[in-house]
Amino acid sequence: MGEVLTVRGLNKSFGGIVVARNVDLTLQSGRVVGLIGPNGAGKTSLFNLISGVVKPDSGTVSLDGAPLDRLKFHQRIHRGLSRTWQHVRLFPSLSVLDNLLIATREYPGERIVNVLFGRRRLKEHDKVAREQATDVLGRMGLANVADALVTDLPYGQQKLVGVARALMGEAKCLLLDEPMAGVEGASYAAMQRVVREVADRGAAVCVVEHNVAFVRDLCDEGIFMFAGAIMARGSVAELIGDPQLTELYFGH
Amino acid sequence: MDYLDGLIVIVGLYVILAASFNLIIGYGGLVSIAHPVFFALGAYASAILSRDLALPVPLAMLGGTAVALAASIALALPSLRVSGDYLLIASIGFQLGVLEVIKNVRFTGGSSGFINIPPFLIRDFGRTSYVVLVLAATAGVIFLVRWIARSDYGRAMSAMRDDELAFASVGRNAMWMKIAIFGLGSGLAGLAGALYAHYFRFVTPEQFELLQSAAILTMVVVGGMRTTWGPVVGALLLEALPQALAFLNLPPSVLGPIQGLLFTGLVLVFMFFRPQGLVPAQDAWRGARAAKESR
Amino acid sequence: MLDPTIILQILWTSLATASYYVLFAVAFALVLKVTRLFNFAQAAIMTIAFYAAFVAVQWLAWPAWAAFAAMTATTLTASFALERIGFEALRKRGVSVMFVFVFTFMVSEFVDYLAMLIFGTWPQTIFPTMFWPVTLVGNIAVSAWDLPAVGATIGALALLFAFMRFSRVGQFMTGVADNPDLAELYGISKRRIFLVTMLIAGAFSALGMFLYGTRAQVLPQTGLSLMLFAVAATIIGGIGNVAGAAIAAVILGVIQNASILVISSEWQGFLLYIFLFLAIIFFPKGLRLPQRPRFVTAARDALIEQDAPAAESKA
Repeated sequence: MGEVLTVRGLNKSFGGIVVARNVDLTLQSGRVVGLIGPNGAGKTSLFNLISGVVKPDSGTVSLDGAPLDRLKFHQRIHRGLSRTWQHVRLFPSLSVLDNLLIATREYPGERIVNVLFGRRRLKEHDKVAREQATDVLGRMGLANVADALVTDLPYGQQKLVGVARALMGEAKCLLLDEPMAGVEGASYAAMQRVVREVADRGAAVCVVEHNVAFVRDLCDEGIFMFAGAIMARGSVAELIGDPQLTELYFGH
Repeated sequence: MDYLDGLIVIVGLYVILAASFNLIIGYGGLVSIAHPVFFALGAYASAILSRDLALPVPLAMLGGTAVALAASIALALPSLRVSGDYLLIASIGFQLGVLEVIKNVRFTGGSSGFINIPPFLIRDFGRTSYVVLVLAATAGVIFLVRWIARSDYGRAMSAMRDDELAFASVGRNAMWMKIAIFGLGSGLAGLAGALYAHYFRFVTPEQFELLQSAAILTMVVVGGMRTTWGPVVGALLLEALPQALAFLNLPPSVLGPIQGLLFTGLVLVFMFFRPQGLVPAQDAWRGARAAKESR
Repeated sequence: MLDPTIILQILWTSLATASYYVLFAVAFALVLKVTRLFNFAQAAIMTIAFYAAFVAVQWLAWPAWAAFAAMTATTLTASFALERIGFEALRKRGVSVMFVFVFTFMVSEFVDYLAMLIFGTWPQTIFPTMFWPVTLVGNIAVSAWDLPAVGATIGALALLFAFMRFSRVGQFMTGVADNPDLAELYGISKRRIFLVTMLIAGAFSALGMFLYGTRAQVLPQTGLSLMLFAVAATIIGGIGNVAGAAIAAVILGVIQNASILVISSEWQGFLLYIFLFLAIIFFPKGLRLPQRPRFVTAARDALIEQDAPAAESKA
């Protein structure tokens, strides 16, 4: 147990619109936090700020105590952050398996020297990566589509692949952006199971979700955001039951 | 016989240029017109190192390749730091600017060209030996690009082209990859330049102009981007055409523009009616293992 | 120390000759701002403009005003064709940046080679002579070309400014530049605005080439070199900033001309590439002048409230 991700005093506005208003947040190892709120509350923007896609106006983000502020997006991922996208963003020219293989924490094939002079190292890495990928795909019920092109899959399965890809980095902190949107049936149960497992293995997980049942069943605590600010924290049941928050959520 | 040898050498070198440009623009997704300038840098550097600095030719050739490589990284590093679009503009400036320098500076021989480049192999082993050298280099480059494209690096290049933001989100560094791709491709162009210099023993700035840029681009686009054999087909086609045209005995003032019209016209036609080129690429990336299995 | 007369002379000449640079830069910058396209085919338009005027004057022996009219008509037709047959088709296909680049580059090269074939590769000017009577103002030589050139340029810029500021179409152009999809929601035809932009750029290119071609020699590849100048000015001036591009063009023009004081003339051309390179390294965002898109600000603010989910997913 311990603080994995720490956000302090994060502020950001885009031309007059405040997307983050003095946001303080802590994600702890082994816990799943649900980030809820109406559209436009700044939830995805917060993920963008934490991961480094967008630069904040002020505030800091730290992973395992080390500040991430000077690091670029891909460098933060390399440090142990991982995120999914609201609109999936898989690589259409690659198969499901290849989408996962490209997402390992270390990828020796990224350096041309390794390709030219380090064939053994590549082979070893490839073996381990394939085992890992096959394992992840199996746990998510995607084993039978490993060689399919992602563009051939239905949307729900694509979302699952997106999460599977995010798991390949064995991240300390996982940010999932609406993983359940468009997912139904057996995939729903698989997603819940996988997220729980990841948390149990020690990762700190934060999920943006509109699917109330998912949030209630899975999340250890909830955070309610509105207009860029954190309005309330507590157990998910408390937040869902609060009439004022409900009005903010639906009234908007 | 000499004429045929020269033709084979030229075609081989242009295959190297097309294949290496395919690496940059096809697999790397980098838009640049600055390929001929690296061809030139390799040629001139090797020529100067061997003739004026008395380096043995093989070392000079390596030197030429290294100069092209270094120059390409010097170009790509600041440009890509901004964006891919900037590389395009910078490449235009670099291509035209460096040629301006070559034309105006004394130690390159200026516009009249650089003469008396030391020969290599031919005096001792005959012309055929050099032709074999060039063909070996050509084959080497073709298979090198193919190998890279099918390796884990190829998987990364494919993903990078698909979605750079998602690429970063899985922890990969697109910028360094682009610089490496640009460097390798341009370095190979420099190697071709060095090979050119020591066969024909005479280089002029005219051989490295915008016309050659258009020609190489045409070879890759018409031949088929992101394929092993597309650039080969493209290069063969576009080197064969001028030879065919030469038989028409047109005056040089007409021949040049007609060649140019042919190149650019071909690209435009292909872009509208067959953008995938003569040798179509597969939509999906397949690694070496999968490619073997699918056969 | 240098003779102040020489300095003033160089300053005056470079300001006068900056006139066509400004026109080319504004054309390029405007198209980039509104259509978000790096229009390398502008070189083709410029080449067509020059040779149209050349043909009118030297082959058909038309008077200057008729030649100018013919040149403008030809250039506008070419711009129309480029936009409707070329760019529109590419937009419909949703092609990549590379595709557009290859297309515009190849179009410029194609036109260059055509010009080489038809007109040969030796330098030409629009009028048989490029010498203009010179009057001395104080000790400064003022060519009869200078004032009309500067006047025409200022006039064109003023017209453009007034058009963009006060006419509906001009304001629509700013709207489309700012947010094309939002502008469409307001019933503005993107298609029509893109065409108008290309036509204006064509007109500026034509005027620019008329000025250049009556004062200096032109080769088929001159269009490309001049256009590079426009590109450098656009980058330094700030992408999206047409006024910035104009100012940058003047400054670069003055520097290039004034450089004769320190370097030999054969190297002056090379300066351009240095500018380009420096522009890219040091000014990727350009020297920003305050720019305020007027049209859609209020509407945009109103819509953002409703649009928040879209804004969120784009952020």
